[in-house]
Amino acid sequence: MPSKVIPVPKTPKEAHNPHRPAGTLLRSQALHLHEALKWHMREVQALLAINPRTLHTEGAISKYIQKVTAVLHPHAAKQQIKQGGES
Amino acid sequence: MSKGLDALKHIVVLMMENRSFDHMLGGLKVPGINGLKGDEWNPDTLGNKVKVSQSAKFQGQLKKDPDHHFPGVDMQIFGGQKGDNRVVNMKGFVLDYFTQTNNVNDSHAIMNYFKPDDLPILTNLATEFAFFNTWFASIPGPTICNRAFAHYGTSFGQVGMDFFYLLDPILSIYERMIRGGHTSKLYYYNQASSTMEVVNLLKNQPQLFGTFEQFIADCKNGVLPEYSFIEPCYSDQIGDDGGAIIASDQHPDHDVREGERFMATVYDAIRINPDLWQSTVLLIVYDEHGGIYDHLVPPDCTPGGYTASGEATGTGVPFTFNRLGVRVPAVLISPWIPRGTIVSPLKPDGTMQNQRNFEHASIPNTVTNHFLPDFDQNNQRTEREKKSETFLDLLTDTMRPDDDCIAFDL
Repeated sequence: MPSKVIPVPKTPKEAHNPHRPAGTLLRSQALHLHEALKWHMREVQALLAINPRTLHTEGAISKYIQKVTAVLHPHAAKQQIKQGGES
Repeated sequence: MSKGLDALKHIVVLMMENRSFDHMLGGLKVPGINGLKGDEWNPDTLGNKVKVSQSAKFQGQLKKDPDHHFPGVDMQIFGGQKGDNRVVNMKGFVLDYFTQTNNVNDSHAIMNYFKPDDLPILTNLATEFAFFNTWFASIPGPTICNRAFAHYGTSFGQVGMDFFYLLDPILSIYERMIRGGHTSKLYYYNQASSTMEVVNLLKNQPQLFGTFEQFIADCKNGVLPEYSFIEPCYSDQIGDDGGAIIASDQHPDHDVREGERFMATVYDAIRINPDLWQSTVLLIVYDEHGGIYDHLVPPDCTPGGYTASGEATGTGVPFTFNRLGVRVPAVLISPWIPRGTIVSPLKPDGTMQNQRNFEHASIPNTVTNHFLPDFDQNNQRTEREKKSETFLDLLTDTMRPDDDCIAFDL
């Protein structure tokens, strides 16, 4: 058992103010998210431009499925990462 | 190699927001600290001397966010001097805060600092383990460019908050770890808070991200990655259940106590798992000073190969990344660290012993050197990072017993 236990003060409820005007940090974060979303949409649009009916080999179709799945379910890439591969 | 280093399996970094060393720890009275004497001062716009004051409040005193963009910090550290021969004097904090407050009395609040008893978590962690007298922000500027140094060892020439593109071949510390067959994760608080690394990492490596809830679970289940970076909650939110979620980043004007609770929660998550506690080192550090007074002059550093133009800095003068930003609090925690350790302790004559200047590039440098000793073969990091100080030498051969390490009652 630790010989020194330090009580952690509670933060008063009055500290919470979701109506506080956002500062430059949060505004910048929102802008960066917007930019990231545009990148994301470009990726999606590029995939939508591919007609799956034009893909005929297992290799080509599996590559397409990999890219689409990565968009729809990003965490699917987790296993690859654990194995040391790139996303 | 020390026994502590030999036992090390996990490095965890918690990066808080916008408080200077003197503001948070300058009031501590322990031998060796380079804190405040009480007679440090800045002039105000009327020419009055404004001394530091142990009267910082948890919230409400810095409602106007102190300027911490490049021109503002330039004003703070040079006191408004211009020209080639100017010298850093740390005399412009009150003058600069007046530009936000437009009120002379309110501008004095930038000189306030906390009583140690007001911050029981940070001050106890600092005195029970190790704190750094000389950890500085990487850039005399705002959040995004400074946090970039913690992730990449460089800001790619940026000194501001703008969106920026990554430049090959520099890899983030997370990508380095993954490519090297190691594990790494960046835990943000929740989706409504998200990450400040969203543009640079979320696009390419979404699987590298987790939430704080997952961090707690990973600690409990013994599956914490080898390197973890934690982001606090950046905003006051209304939760999905309608309850209040209070920002824990300590960015003014968020309540400092909630940040204290967050630090205690992170510490506790590691502390209660015996295997994890013995094999982990936790660094708590602030991204930059947030425009708040510190007395220590930022030192020169290895430039790192970039130049920000006079237009980009906003001062009309280019910046070659040859000087660090303002000093910030930094605390290193592990049972392998003796109580009361101070990095670069102050001697009785007022000089520092073995002054070692740390900055945020020290984080990827430390992690890379420990987990990826052969990484440099592809020249994928900057000279600035490689020449930065590392901190794992603070781990010793002796592990403190469980009852010798503090606990928090949350």
